[in-house]
Amino acid sequence: MEFIGKSMTLSEVLKEIEKDIPFYDESGGGVTFSGGEPLNQPFFLLEMLKACGELDLHRTVDTSGFADSEVLLKIAEQTDLFLYDLKHMDPLKHQLYTGVSNEKILLNLELLARHGAQITIRIPVVPGMNDDKENIERVGAFLGRLPGIRQVHILPYHSVAQGKYRSLRTDFPLADVQPPTALQMEAIAERLQKNGLQVALGG
Amino acid sequence: MNERVERLRRKSFETMPCVSAERAQLMTQFYRENMYKYSVPVLRALNFKHLCERKTLYIGEDELIVGERGPFPKAVPTFPELTCHSVEDLKILDSRSMTRYAVSKETMTIYEREIIPFWRGRNLRERVFKEAPAEWKSAYEVGMFTEFMEQRAPGHTALDGIIYRKGMMDFKEEIAHSLAKLDYLNDSEATEKAEELKAMAISCDAVITFADRHAEMADEMADRETKPERRAELKKIAATCRWVPAHAPRDFWEALQMYWFVHLGTVTELNGWDSMCPGHLDQHLHPFYEKDLAANTLNREKAKELLQCFWIKFNNQPAPPKVGVTAEESGTYNDFANINLAGLKRDGSDGVNEVSYLLLEVLDEMQLLQPQANVQVSHKTPERFLKAACRVIRKGSGYPSVFNADEVIMEQLRIGKTLEDAREGGTSGCIETGSFGKEAFILTGYLNVPKILEVTLNNGLDPLTGHTVGLQTGDPRNFASFDALYGAFEKQLSYFVDLKIRVNNYIEQMYACYAPAPFLSVLIRDCIAKGKDYNNGGPRYNANYIQCCGIGTITDSLSAIKKHVFEEKAFAMDRLLNALQKNFDDEESLRLILFNKTPFYGNDDDLADSIMQQVYASLFNAIDGKPNTKGTEYHLNMLSTTCHVYFGRMLGASANGRLAGLPISDGTSPSHGADRKGPTAVIKSLGKMDQVKSGGTLLNQRFTPSVLKGETGVDSMAHLIRTYFNLNGHHVQFNVVDTATLRRAQASPEEYRNLLVRVAGYSDYFVDLDRHHQEEIIARTEHESL
Repeated sequence: MEFIGKSMTLSEVLKEIEKDIPFYDESGGGVTFSGGEPLNQPFFLLEMLKACGELDLHRTVDTSGFADSEVLLKIAEQTDLFLYDLKHMDPLKHQLYTGVSNEKILLNLELLARHGAQITIRIPVVPGMNDDKENIERVGAFLGRLPGIRQVHILPYHSVAQGKYRSLRTDFPLADVQPPTALQMEAIAERLQKNGLQVALGG
Repeated sequence: MNERVERLRRKSFETMPCVSAERAQLMTQFYRENMYKYSVPVLRALNFKHLCERKTLYIGEDELIVGERGPFPKAVPTFPELTCHSVEDLKILDSRSMTRYAVSKETMTIYEREIIPFWRGRNLRERVFKEAPAEWKSAYEVGMFTEFMEQRAPGHTALDGIIYRKGMMDFKEEIAHSLAKLDYLNDSEATEKAEELKAMAISCDAVITFADRHAEMADEMADRETKPERRAELKKIAATCRWVPAHAPRDFWEALQMYWFVHLGTVTELNGWDSMCPGHLDQHLHPFYEKDLAANTLNREKAKELLQCFWIKFNNQPAPPKVGVTAEESGTYNDFANINLAGLKRDGSDGVNEVSYLLLEVLDEMQLLQPQANVQVSHKTPERFLKAACRVIRKGSGYPSVFNADEVIMEQLRIGKTLEDAREGGTSGCIETGSFGKEAFILTGYLNVPKILEVTLNNGLDPLTGHTVGLQTGDPRNFASFDALYGAFEKQLSYFVDLKIRVNNYIEQMYACYAPAPFLSVLIRDCIAKGKDYNNGGPRYNANYIQCCGIGTITDSLSAIKKHVFEEKAFAMDRLLNALQKNFDDEESLRLILFNKTPFYGNDDDLADSIMQQVYASLFNAIDGKPNTKGTEYHLNMLSTTCHVYFGRMLGASANGRLAGLPISDGTSPSHGADRKGPTAVIKSLGKMDQVKSGGTLLNQRFTPSVLKGETGVDSMAHLIRTYFNLNGHHVQFNVVDTATLRRAQASPEEYRNLLVRVAGYSDYFVDLDRHHQEEIIARTEHESL
């Protein structure tokens, strides 16, 4: 086993970010904190967000939503946009596929939305797991009720991780799952749009 | 494109280039009879007239714009007064696998019987090589530098808008006025000027005659033509050729034909580098386009057809056949006519108009080698136009290339041009900055900068041949510091630059004395007023350039030596030099440390980039401000064309882990495989080069088509361009790769380290993906490139 990646201090990360400011200035882009789960390092994340705020950079946090609610709301004060994962509406299935229940995740999403955060929802569409009509309709109904949800991105499952599993010498559990077809993705998009949501494929 | 254009295009595309002996033969006859009867300029002008009166004409089926340089499309004339090809040269041209030119038996015989016996010992190339000092020759032979004017005339010339306002008759009046003003009492050069001015007038007559002959031929063809539509077209061609170039054009069609006759005149008179270039063609044509549209004599479709017919004429003229080192440094059929789109007008307003869009469409549809086109992006260029250009770029032909118009103007202001003349300037050839219609900006040859380091590391010796070619600056094993090594490198640099300039200046005077270009002088501002030739300081501005190659390779090599030998002392200089000498044989682990554990240029890494800045400053100090023979100066240029391949072949292994014989870095791009942090980091590194002090830099960027997919792809490309230009970048061109390249990347991943591919919601380096995934991407790319 080999350790990939490196430890960096706040100022080291900030220095890397600053290098790209000419590009942000031109394109209106900014910084995205993603992961893993950035909320696993809440203190570091908060300090980074503050520092970027002082540089007038647009700040996005990409999260699974599985975090302490109080921490999340503190982070929200320093965040311009959340990319928020929504994997399954059924608590048991969510537990089965991800190892944790979705209760806290849904609660946190509702909290964020009611506190005026800007949120883009991201749904990874995995055939046979969360692409059924019932789940998608429940997602649509839930999101349709929330304020501040800008957009929903539906992301077709892909097998890129297969190589990583191989290099970790671990069996790839989804070896038999095929990526959804364009037609399937369109049907899901239409279903979600019925709830007044803006849906984009990929993203 | 319509059927006519498709037929013309196919013919041009499929015809194989061949050598035509006609020009050589006509000129040899003329010189035999007329040498010593006239002054050199008048002799040259009369020779030009002789060619225009006698050369075989060609008006092809379907053609609307007429005239060829040779007797028919893709037949390329030779210039024995500059380079007299030997029979051996002709055999090589006829049989080589790359850029082949067919040579018929008849041509071979004419050369053997008439051309070679006359021009042997008389052509400029032989005279130059005979006169060049031994130390120049030894440096030249090991690939330290090249010499542009050893077989082609000074060029890189582009025109401003004067020929759309004045015809040859108007120029003749100006010439007569200048002649009348000559002061034989007080001006010791009056006679010389008189001869030059007379030559200019003769050359105006020559092109008028050339056009009249086309008019006669078109009339005859019209009389024989049975299809009424074609008969009408031939009549229009005849009328056009009777009017231009004697007079200023009156409509869109005449404007195109005017340029084309002028173009053919200049490339028949001499074989100047980069042929000739119309400059800001969109701005020149726009008034005619608007006028004809308003008068209902032209519509958008017809204008496009005419432009496409015009386009094909460029493609019909491959570069004159090059041999020896010149073929190595510029191994292509492309003769580098480079049409400028967008930019600014003389008054500083935005130059984009409807013809700019039309030309972009033509470029997109034609997909031909020639002419090239580039987009001059200024702070005033509309986003709509930039995005339209990006949509053409991402189709993958590499055209149009993109320039920072504001930077191009600044580069010219730095060397003393007026703001208006600078705005009217732009880019010709590959990336060369110049003031169109008013300047002789002469590129003199490439400099192999990594080779200078190699010679420094060998105390003046070329390790490949064992010959002493440089100064003895000391055994680097004894250098106590990096600064000592760098000091030695600077001494060698200055020695080679001065050596090159010495011979350049000699050649420059050879052209001034023996190969003046009176017709070109008519077209470039102030030559008529001064009574001086283009090759003798006649133009308003004169600048010389040396093109420095391999900034990536030299920076990375110095960075490696600095870090591993001097700072960390991981290994001794002796071990490194031995490894380089052995081409890293038995030293692969050392090579990998150099290649993977060194800060390299192109990663926005200040350690490496500061070395690049240091080298750039040394190049600038060695070159900028050195005098030429026209009372003006040499400047720096950062272009390599195909010379980085030749220079790489002449270079042993280098300290950046590059094996002997492999290409050095191209233009101002990072070394192959050195940039590992993506295109934004490359742009940041390039942004640290003070590019405004050069006459042009060149950045290649390579993407797969999927990275640039959809409107987001267009937006990203436009943002990348604007950001680079905000950082004062001069030029960028995009290579959108195909499957073949991806296959090659699989075979030699080290060379394709920087190849970015779109994976899913993100991009990654192709060579970092596992085989399975690479295959998946290849399948996808192929699908997307349909």
